[in-house]
Amino acid sequence: MLQKKSSIDVPLTIGYHFTRLVMAGVFIYASIDKIIHPDLFAEAVFNYQVLPGYLVNLTALILPWLELILGACLLINRWMAGASALAAMLMALFVGMIIFNLARGLDISCGCFSAAPDDDPITLLTLARDICFLIFSLGLAGLVFIKNTRRVR
Amino acid sequence: MAPTLVRHHIGNTVRQIIFIILISVVLGAAVNFIRPDSIPFVETWSMADNLVTEDGEALAIPLEDAAALFADNAAIFLDARTPAEYEKGHIQGAVNLPWHEVDNYFETVIMTLDPEAMIITYCDGEACSLSHDLALFLKDLGFTRIKVLVNGWTLWKGHDLPVTTPSS
Repeated sequence: MLQKKSSIDVPLTIGYHFTRLVMAGVFIYASIDKIIHPDLFAEAVFNYQVLPGYLVNLTALILPWLELILGACLLINRWMAGASALAAMLMALFVGMIIFNLARGLDISCGCFSAAPDDDPITLLTLARDICFLIFSLGLAGLVFIKNTRRVR
Repeated sequence: MAPTLVRHHIGNTVRQIIFIILISVVLGAAVNFIRPDSIPFVETWSMADNLVTEDGEALAIPLEDAAALFADNAAIFLDARTPAEYEKGHIQGAVNLPWHEVDNYFETVIMTLDPEAMIITYCDGEACSLSHDLALFLKDLGFTRIKVLVNGWTLWKGHDLPVTTPSS
């Protein structure tokens, strides 16, 4: 199959690889500390006060691996349709959780890049950062869609 | 943009998402299974369960017990929130001991407390840990009868127990 060449291909390709690599870095970096410290991350998940108690540990065990696998897919440019869509969904979920807890004034740690409960409280800056990542992920998912549906024989 | 390609893309997306989730579940479970510091897959989490001293004594006190002690005037209530929050409303008779500036209140509050007295700390919200931290701190200082009223301010207000507010 050949890619149909047009003048917008170059910026699209640059945008695709740029967002892909940024989000790969974000997800892989975010997963490491949580995989190392599942007990601390479970506490961070519990503190969000959105999940029933019995789902807290399962989430704390699976979510970091989801971030890692997803980040790895983005990094090696494989399964991009699924990985980019999942990235956008996760970022939307994270943004939603942060807005929810900022709105009800819960003083909790983000648990975003570090599992430790003491640092990285959620603030408007956290929200702004995650909204940026959400926009990146949505952009990437859009670019993957364009890439996959524009092929001509 | 052919409809077949769009359908194909959506199919791929769904399939790949399922694969990625499955791999994560398997890896997450497997690694937790073999690592020495694993955590239980299912654990009942509640703030009260977490409030246990090193020797296993439960720190949390149920609202009814706290209210009974209050009615008998048998406990000192310590409000671990900030002075601003305390000013907006607190349990009647409670003393403000903001955890974040606890050092500044050493002489004015902590030194005046009877080490044998029943002390109940509280803050606001299920996840608020100020009261918990304050309770453990006081225990370390030698206070013996310390309890934490989890989500204290919200519960107290919600049950129409006596409060002090700027208007009252």
